[in-house]
Amino acid sequence: MGFIECSRNRSGTPGFAVVWCPDFKLQAVVRRVQTKPEPVALVDDTKRQSVILSRNEAAIRQGVEVGMKTVQGLARCPGLRVESPSAPAEEAAARTLLETSFGWVPGIEETGEGWLTLDLSTQSPGEWVDSAQRLRGRLYEAGAEVVIGIGETPSLARIAALAARAEGKSFRHLDPGCRMEHLDQLSLGLAETAEELQERLRLWGVNSLGAFARLSREAIAARMGDEGVELWLRLTGRLQRPLRLAKLDELFEEHQDFDYEVREREPLLFVVNRFLDQLIVRVGATGRAAVAVHVLLTFSDGSCRAKRLPLPEPVLDHEILFHLISGYLDGLEMKAAIGGIRIRFEPSDPVASQRTLFGAGLKNRYQFEDTMKRLRKIVGSERVGTPRSLSTHRPGVFELQPLPDSLEECEERKGPPVTGATVRRFRGGLRVDVQMREGRPFRIESRPVSGLVVDLAGPWYCGGDWWHAGRDWNRVEWDVEIRARGVFRLVREKEQWNLEGRYE
Amino acid sequence: MNGTGTDKVAALAAIREQLGSRITSGSELLQVQETREVRAATGLAGLNEQLGGGLPKGQFTEILSGDHGGGGLVMAALLARARRERQYVMLLDVGCCFSPESFPEADLEGLLWVGCSGAGEAVEALDVASRDENFSLFFVDLRGSSSSDWRGVRANQWQRILGQLRQRESVAILFANEAVTSASKHRIRVGLALQCDDLDRDREQLLARLRFEPARGSEVDSSRTVAMRQVG
Repeated sequence: MGFIECSRNRSGTPGFAVVWCPDFKLQAVVRRVQTKPEPVALVDDTKRQSVILSRNEAAIRQGVEVGMKTVQGLARCPGLRVESPSAPAEEAAARTLLETSFGWVPGIEETGEGWLTLDLSTQSPGEWVDSAQRLRGRLYEAGAEVVIGIGETPSLARIAALAARAEGKSFRHLDPGCRMEHLDQLSLGLAETAEELQERLRLWGVNSLGAFARLSREAIAARMGDEGVELWLRLTGRLQRPLRLAKLDELFEEHQDFDYEVREREPLLFVVNRFLDQLIVRVGATGRAAVAVHVLLTFSDGSCRAKRLPLPEPVLDHEILFHLISGYLDGLEMKAAIGGIRIRFEPSDPVASQRTLFGAGLKNRYQFEDTMKRLRKIVGSERVGTPRSLSTHRPGVFELQPLPDSLEECEERKGPPVTGATVRRFRGGLRVDVQMREGRPFRIESRPVSGLVVDLAGPWYCGGDWWHAGRDWNRVEWDVEIRARGVFRLVREKEQWNLEGRYE
Repeated sequence: MNGTGTDKVAALAAIREQLGSRITSGSELLQVQETREVRAATGLAGLNEQLGGGLPKGQFTEILSGDHGGGGLVMAALLARARRERQYVMLLDVGCCFSPESFPEADLEGLLWVGCSGAGEAVEALDVASRDENFSLFFVDLRGSSSSDWRGVRANQWQRILGQLRQRESVAILFANEAVTSASKHRIRVGLALQCDDLDRDREQLLARLRFEPARGSEVDSSRTVAMRQVG
């Protein structure tokens, strides 16, 4: 098949492409069937007598026709290879067609079996032809032979694809600038209208789509009704329709139902490994990466477990993804044997981020996320984070935030200098008995810390949250130096004395 | 040893002779690694002096404070330096005794605090965290645990962590009241006679007053002991 460009693109024109995989059912079963030298036919075995549904070029040359009984076909062509339709193969072929086309533009409609309509408005018209050529090449490598038509509306793009097929080409562009000249060359049959309408037009001497499009709308409406008007609108580019866009995030999925009960993780990881190989290639072909992985496990007792495993940033690294899934499976408690596994990639555009030249941050975000996950498992999620003071004067109150991705250069410290020693808290406080003399702590008594107060500073009164019912707090603080023991923070709150911490 | 064994030893010696310097044993490799040790300066002159220039990378260093105090100030100084150098620090805090309000907020930006309920949990967490190349400095505050708690940690776990620290050239500092593990290369005792009046002084002044000395069992201590024996 040749590859022709009919005309120069006009910049800024909205456009649509139709990717058509002719004889889709046959192509789903046999890769690159049209260019195969051996004759191949797809037959329908469901009826009492097997009939031929479609065939390739080699079979046509030997007289095999659609609708013919299979035995007749074999009589005409003894070397005919006979295949039956396969629903899983068709599903896989449709998925390949769609996924590969996502490498061109994001807006794609699955118009029919083997038909895709692509919205090219996101791409410059100057790149359409090259992109179409690349897509066709990629699909050919994947085993599908397609023709591509481009036009200013989905209908015209479809006509372009049909015309290309009829002419034995792989591509046709109905450029709006010379649309009529192109339509003049195309027969009425390409418009996919009823035979009756076509016959009537032929009788009136209208033999091409261009001749029909030149007629006035009123004259067509008066003589041919709605069907004629609809065709006229299609050919003149006035019939627009929105595309029902395919959802990318439901596409990248692999699943396997086991014929046997899987109780060990090893065979499961083997399957996961294989799925990852396939999904990485498929997602990568669309220029995207995985931002999360969904794992669905079904168990032999009828239960199932689904989990979304998010990634810190979009990635397509096999090792990282395998580590993510195997880590989840390792921590999974399997009460019953596994009956099936389903893995789906949530695709996203890869992050185009670059650190500043002198910036410093996490060297390996995936490893960090993994470490965090493991640490949370050991100590609990409420005990891991970067401490941040809250907007309160109450000591010991802070919140935990996630560690920042990057650390900016530390500016020269502003404000008053940092004074004093640090406090090491006795978590929950150390309850003590305090002897007072002249209104000041004189002796501290408790099991771990006891002694005479040789020096002190205070008292400092503080309180807050009185505006929240039941959450108000009031405390009196002293810094006390206990002989031979050090300096402590002594606090009186709700008539109770506590050693809150030790200065060190 | 029988005749065959002697032959094998002789054959091995002959091979070694033939290969010359191209073959080294594991212990020789370790020695080489230790002689080219990289150190990270701490910003504390007294501590650098005791450690021979700074914290040895890929090693455990124990800072013993006990009732003498000073451990918190050492932690504050190291945290501030790590922040200036934009390094991430992980604090494994046994007993959750860390008090964030004692530290400037900016110094805490690169700190990941991990509250642990016991020494065993902290060492387990360190075992996981020391494999992470994002962290170059680990503080393990064991002062909130009893010695019986961390003595339950197996020696091979310490050695495994040590191997991971060496691999990533990261530093682990164990803050404790007494010696923790024989895997530590240095054991330094820190002391500070703190008084009530000191709570109003600049922290820089207090840091300058910190006293550092090698604790029993430290490599520095051992070398000094050896030197004294030789003099004797």
